[in-house]
Amino acid sequence: MNQHIRKIAEIDRVIHEPGRLMIVALLYAVDKADFLYLQHETEMNKGTLSSHLSRLEEAGYVEVVKTYRGKIPQTLLHLTEGGRKAFEEYRKKLKGAL
Amino acid sequence: MDSIEGVLQRPKFYNNIDGVGELGMGVMMLGYAMLMWLQVHSPESAIWHKMYVFFLWVGGMIAIIHYGSKAIKEHVTYRRTGFVEYRKRNRIWPAAIAFVVSALVAAGLAFAVRSNREIGGPHWGLTEPVALIGLVFAAAYGYGIARSVRWKWAVVGVIAICSLTIAMLPPDWAGAIVGSPSNAGPFSPGSVGAWLLIMLTYAAILLISGGVSFVLYLRHTQPPAEAA
Repeated sequence: MNQHIRKIAEIDRVIHEPGRLMIVALLYAVDKADFLYLQHETEMNKGTLSSHLSRLEEAGYVEVVKTYRGKIPQTLLHLTEGGRKAFEEYRKKLKGAL
Repeated sequence: MDSIEGVLQRPKFYNNIDGVGELGMGVMMLGYAMLMWLQVHSPESAIWHKMYVFFLWVGGMIAIIHYGSKAIKEHVTYRRTGFVEYRKRNRIWPAAIAFVVSALVAAGLAFAVRSNREIGGPHWGLTEPVALIGLVFAAAYGYGIARSVRWKWAVVGVIAICSLTIAMLPPDWAGAIVGSPSNAGPFSPGSVGAWLLIMLTYAAILLISGGVSFVLYLRHTQPPAEAA
């Protein structure tokens, strides 16, 4: 296989999906954020956002913590060290492929 | 790749989505201008000239800005558009550079005062330092805030125009705000008046711009339960 084509094939498919890429990029820039923030920034509905977050959680890229802010339930999301490294690797590979 | 870089920038701009960042800076400028006004219009022996009053004043301003911003974020922003906690960065180097620059400026001023030079006298002029500070401030505001909100570029223009206008004022006009020349201490009344004017102008611009952002934010966002 051509080396350039191999580079594209090596790209992390979990992160490469546009919705998940947005989520990971937003979480990469912060320490943690809540579900409402991601919903506002990505303009996804609750179902779609939840499904992407579940996929990222399965891959070990995102940590989900259910908590309360006062009396209001809050879902806090945090990119794990593995998720951070995977995103950095993804950017490097994408730059190389382009 | 450009769009990924754009997404990476979004959380940084989110901090001022409600205009609270600008309101905080406006309160800070207004606080300094008020203290300077009180110092200029009171005798040398007045309480406003004491160093501990300066520290208490600055501490009070920081407390108002910190707890005020926190209250708005907790009760308004986080409930409407979500909570964000930013990454803690290494601040040792920026703090060290700021300390060295402040120490050099303070030492330079102390040397000039001891040498009995009339700081900001006619040989200094108003134009260069005020215009330079205004343009640097306008550029910093453009880079930090206006990049994310298009109408804020008009605010950049207002900051630049106001700075240049104040810089070109005749020293007598700028000095009129100080009153008696003896109120200005070792500085020329024109320079003190120009500093006072520029701080009041920036405070007004930031408070108006931040206030408009806050009203627009309230108008265009709703808490999730109410939006449903």
